[in-house]
Amino acid sequence: MSQGIDAFWNALDDDLARYPMKAELEPLPQHSTAASTTYGVRLTSVGPYRISGYYSVPNAPQPAPGLLITPRYGSVNNVPDYYDRERYAVLQLIHRGQRRADRPFAAAYPGLLTVGIDSPETYIYRGIVADCLRGAEFLRSRPELDGGPVGIQGDDLALLTAARRPAFTAVLASELVLYRLLEASERTTAYPWEELNDYLRTAPESRPAVANTLGYFDPIHHVSSIRSRTMLTAIDGNGPRGEAWLDPLRATCGGSCATYRLTHKGAIDHDWLDAWMAGQLGTEPRSRFRVLG
Amino acid sequence: MAAAERIPLNPSTAPVPLRSTSTVDVFEIGYDSLDNVRVAGWYCAPKQAHLAPPYPGLLIVPGYIAEPTLPKSWAQLGYATVGVAPRGKLRSNRQYNPGYPGLLIDNIVDRNTYAYRGFYVDAARAVDFLFTRPEVDRARIGVHGSSQGGALTITTAALRPDAIRCGAAGAPYLCGFMDAAALTHSYPYEEINEYLRRYPDREPAVRETLNYFDGINFAPRIRCPMQVNLGLQDDVCPPETGFAMYDALTGPKTLHTYDGCGHDAGAYWEAARVEAFLAEHLEPASVAGGA
Repeated sequence: MSQGIDAFWNALDDDLARYPMKAELEPLPQHSTAASTTYGVRLTSVGPYRISGYYSVPNAPQPAPGLLITPRYGSVNNVPDYYDRERYAVLQLIHRGQRRADRPFAAAYPGLLTVGIDSPETYIYRGIVADCLRGAEFLRSRPELDGGPVGIQGDDLALLTAARRPAFTAVLASELVLYRLLEASERTTAYPWEELNDYLRTAPESRPAVANTLGYFDPIHHVSSIRSRTMLTAIDGNGPRGEAWLDPLRATCGGSCATYRLTHKGAIDHDWLDAWMAGQLGTEPRSRFRVLG
Repeated sequence: MAAAERIPLNPSTAPVPLRSTSTVDVFEIGYDSLDNVRVAGWYCAPKQAHLAPPYPGLLIVPGYIAEPTLPKSWAQLGYATVGVAPRGKLRSNRQYNPGYPGLLIDNIVDRNTYAYRGFYVDAARAVDFLFTRPEVDRARIGVHGSSQGGALTITTAALRPDAIRCGAAGAPYLCGFMDAAALTHSYPYEEINEYLRRYPDREPAVRETLNYFDGINFAPRIRCPMQVNLGLQDDVCPPETGFAMYDALTGPKTLHTYDGCGHDAGAYWEAARVEAFLAEHLEPASVAGGA
């Protein structure tokens, strides 16, 4: 990581540290079962901004491994999966702008990806990454974990969080967006990448500034700080999200880093990745899929 | 639908230069629907300088938690395309906003106020929006979506058999609700399990309401060719319910199943088959040049 990028992120840590977490947990009986109890969580992040999440804890008395699921790209994040709630103290984080954290800022889709993108200081992902770091701090503070293993899964936000808070046992990263974003957007017209094409089509003079900003948020400049075992998922071919595309990231990653090549059969892929994370965190794989009788 | 027909559509279109390209025009649209709810959407059409009208019309209907599609890529293929945002979705949630989770069980004990009563109509009314566009060939309108979009494909084709020429439904949701909920712990159906765990005495009322909104009961009303794809290990929309809906279709139909697939329902392979199916029935002339 270059000195400029390092200073930027250290300043963000300092900014975040200025705001006490002020965690609120509200039981959500409708999402609780005999095996787990689910809460709505609210936390303060930089801004200050009140972010949100779902936190669920197994009802069994022994400590549970932790799992942080970083927010998806979209307005809605689901309550954690039923079988994850049985096995993990699991936090599904909801970042600023998404539903349940959309006041005063409501993110637009498409649109979020380019908000404030002309400067790293104003880029919306500065706050979003801070939200994820706060989520990591919250999860680590929970007594239910009792110092046990903690995993993290999601997209680039999982990698950035694991790099900035190297206390995770395992990282599972899929469907990266911020990694080589400018290059990737030149190869596709699919959203969300097309958001960047839209922006640069109407403001081509912004390209150098955009490239500079994205450099601060590209996980390749961060993953050398990761100390855990990392699994990246890759698709076929040499394009974005392919194995060759991910090679520089894998080579840079601290700890041990491997790639799982997706079969594109969702049940098979999900079970493999579920088993990998469960193995890293010392719990049992659970399939949510049935075989037709 | 009769109540909706009495409500003027009041369509609006606002150009969105930011999202438009040299070959495709993008508009933010709006129209009035049941309960006078204002429904939003995206409308993408080929630029007439690049491709002369008329164009076939296409409705792209959204998944449960998915954002409504900005269907520029379909316009690039020659379709005048609406990406519908039914009530409760972003940009259509000023008057109605049950949230996610929440939509599936909102007023679930009353068929006259149940969430999907207006939601289904909102999607079907997008056909009327396309009818207002002079560049659209009214005789060539199709509908496509997966998951909740698969459900809306079925209900729209059933509610507008006069207008829909073909439909492609992936992993259809909202079919056999009660059986589906009994077969899974995955959301959104888990919302029903959670609701009935808290209010078991309401099960008969829930069951009665859902019968009116079940895609299996809509399927026999469809007259156009339908293509359906299912993942045989789908945990979100159990395949048994997709098979039941498919069996209830009485018109021309094609089924693609994908072993090892969950709710993706073989999307990796199916995407090209959907594109070919829609092209066969709607006959677009694709736009020359890039986006």
